[in-house]
Amino acid sequence: MDFELTDEQKARRKEFFDICRELEKKKPPNLVGLETIYDHDECWEFHLHCAKQFAQKGWLSLAWPPEYGGTGNMMDRVLFAEARGYHGIPGVDVFGVGMLAPTLIQAGNEEVKKEFLPPIARAEIMWCELWSEPNAGSDLAALSTTAIRRGDEYIINGQKTWNTGAHRADWGFGVFKTDLTARKHHNLTFILLDMKTPGITVKPIPYMDGGRPFCEVYFDDVRVPAKNIVGQENEGWAVVNTLAGFERSSLTEIMSLVRALEDLVKFCNETKRNGQPLSKDPVIRNRIAQLACELEAARALAYRVADLQNRNEMALMDASAVKIFSSELAERFVFTVTDILGPYGQVKLSRWAPMGGAWEKMYQGCFVTTISMGTNEIQRNIIAWYGLGLPRMK
Amino acid sequence: MDLRFTEAQEILRKMARDFLTTECPKTLVRELEQSEKGYSPELWKKMAELGWMGLIIPEEYEGMGYTFQDLTVLVEEIGRNILPGPFLSTITSTFPILEIGNEEQKKEFLPQIARGELILTTALLEAEGTFTATGITTKATAQDNNLIINGTKLFVEMAHVADYIICATRTKNGESPENGITLFIVDSKTSGIDQEVIPTMAMDKQCEVRFENVAVPRKNMLGNIDEGWPIIEMLLRKGAIVKCAESVGAMQTCVEMTVAYSKERVQYERPIGAFQALQHIMADIWTSMETARYLLYYVAWLESEGMPCAKQASMAKAYINEVYKNVSKWAVRLFGAIGTTYDHDIALYYRRSKAADIAFGGTDFHKELVAQGIGLV
Ligand SMILES: Cc1cc2nc3c(=O)[nH]c(=O)nc-3n(C[C@H](O)[C@H](O)[C@H](O)COP(=O)(O)OP(=O)(O)OC[C@H]3O[C@@H](n4cnc5c(N)ncnc54)[C@H](O)[C@@H]3O)c2cc1C
Repeated sequence: MDFELTDEQKARRKEFFDICRELEKKKPPNLVGLETIYDHDECWEFHLHCAKQFAQKGWLSLAWPPEYGGTGNMMDRVLFAEARGYHGIPGVDVFGVGMLAPTLIQAGNEEVKKEFLPPIARAEIMWCELWSEPNAGSDLAALSTTAIRRGDEYIINGQKTWNTGAHRADWGFGVFKTDLTARKHHNLTFILLDMKTPGITVKPIPYMDGGRPFCEVYFDDVRVPAKNIVGQENEGWAVVNTLAGFERSSLTEIMSLVRALEDLVKFCNETKRNGQPLSKDPVIRNRIAQLACELEAARALAYRVADLQNRNEMALMDASAVKIFSSELAERFVFTVTDILGPYGQVKLSRWAPMGGAWEKMYQGCFVTTISMGTNEIQRNIIAWYGLGLPRMK
Repeated sequence: MDLRFTEAQEILRKMARDFLTTECPKTLVRELEQSEKGYSPELWKKMAELGWMGLIIPEEYEGMGYTFQDLTVLVEEIGRNILPGPFLSTITSTFPILEIGNEEQKKEFLPQIARGELILTTALLEAEGTFTATGITTKATAQDNNLIINGTKLFVEMAHVADYIICATRTKNGESPENGITLFIVDSKTSGIDQEVIPTMAMDKQCEVRFENVAVPRKNMLGNIDEGWPIIEMLLRKGAIVKCAESVGAMQTCVEMTVAYSKERVQYERPIGAFQALQHIMADIWTSMETARYLLYYVAWLESEGMPCAKQASMAKAYINEVYKNVSKWAVRLFGAIGTTYDHDIALYYRRSKAADIAFGGTDFHKELVAQGIGLV
């Protein structure tokens, strides 16, 4: 068993970190947590700026097979995710680069791949995910927005919701009901659509912190070319499951916590309370040490998953484990740090806010990873049913 | 990066698993708990034949010359099955001889250890019950070619059957508590030594060892006089990792037993494993086990490669202590009343999780080391 990186990987890692360190210097101060790219124009601009730079280096297509312009090396993608996480750098469209591209590579036909992969690699098109509906959350297959085939078009009617960045995105990938009579799971089609198509209305939903990360999207007789589908008609459920397997790399989140821990240690060493640095308080030492231990464990497990992915051996339960553990560790982080900060833990970005106001933001933002992409309860079901083989109650 | 076991490690694992399953059934484990010796000399002999005691001893001293990582692979299997006796105390006591012993000491002790002819243990703790340097007050004073030891050591594993005791003593009251500690390899049959087994939860034969004017020849001193603290730090670090390996193996059994039982036990006309309340608990203890496992593998790799890892070893021990206790606690709860009985295997693991936590440093002790390690001033 060997955790060592090859010399080549070490060199790549250094390059990733060097570039991200430089980009961090230009980061807008209100870019706190990667979701904020959807909130503010300057953050979105910065996201696109980073994306272009990464595209030029070929870093958006790292793990793709060589015939589509990638290196075919999973590990590079992991190391890149670490660097971005540590420095809090956006520039990778989680939907296009992170989810759709690997899905197309696995499940798309040649035409669709040829049309949609290159603009993703060149950072020309930003994507959003149009899955959830008001009455279809965890039970996504219960969705009711329809796409009815008329000649060589689909006509879409209905409503999607919670669609992150739909107000910023150029294109969206969605799942729609294409057969009104077939059984659940056998009636869905995975469709790609231009967000500027007439009949689409996007309404941002305010998040609890006042930001606007996600939207409602209404469809009123929206006409989409029938060739814009992934997989076969009425077999979209399989595509959904493929895509769901390409989780957002938990390493990005873990590395952002590694950085947060370093910042926290510095803060505690430099900040006095009761006439001594916070770092001398045994309770604070103990609580921070606990986070450090858990973080090291999360990181070790994330490497394990990367190693499995690298060999194409990842089971569903492995990804679920990292997702649960790292997202709930982030929650524990947020609660611990805001305790330590006392009254300052509630302050928004301003002259009173310690550490750039990150913790006020994260206190509210920690649900992004526990709820979205399959809630942690659903992840636990996955481990129990598919991993431990426990009986499923009907 | 390749996080699979090597082929040699897979062979070692399988051999250990098969051997322990047949040679050390749980009935024997409970029998040994009740016995005076606390171990089986016949089993010890067979383990020696497999080369386990000499696993990490270099071949020039009749050992197998395996790595530290290989050792943790074996210990994980030992934890998985539970193996009472002086194996871990002997192995961990070998560390200081290997790392700091002089050639003469290595020649004298290592081949005998490798052949399974010696049982060793290490005496660190005293009345204060802490692994900090202040806890060491047992005195060793020079007299001609000997040092004379006086004091009482506590929680010394298997001391009642040990041939040699590595004893941490105070030889000077220096400027700092870390300064002035010296380690000796003490023949347990020297006159003035007297032991008593302390009754403990895991019934694992931790002893009180009293030293009254015990004369130890100077040549049995490990390293330099007054400079023993770094040896103890090394011992705590490696010992902690070894203990983590044992705990990870043990939790694997706890999870497997619990999942299997939940598929068999029927209440309300269905297996209890169909209840989502229990499914999520099992998903959680499985997940926490996996985090513990890969943290262990990472730290064992660092140690094996000779990279500095005091901070990471403390992280692992602090973390895994709690995971093992929690996993085994939930295991008992999912078994219900049957799990609380003396004759049930799951209770055996639960009792041993507390002993594993204490050995080589409890959670708060290691967390303080982590706090220092991450740079809190
Ligand atoms: C920040 C954020 C961003 C998002 N971005 C997108 C996006 O870009 N595109 C998109 O399509 N969607 C997005 N979503 C929606 C997300 O996928 C859903 O919120 C999620 O799938 C859960 O659905 P729900 O909110 O309707 O909750 P529900 O499914 O109603 O769940 C409510 C509660 O019940 C629990 N529950 C449900 N079923 C079970 C079960 N079988 N067993 C145990 N517990 C269960 C859940 O875990 C949860 O605690 C986003 C959500 C958030 C919070």
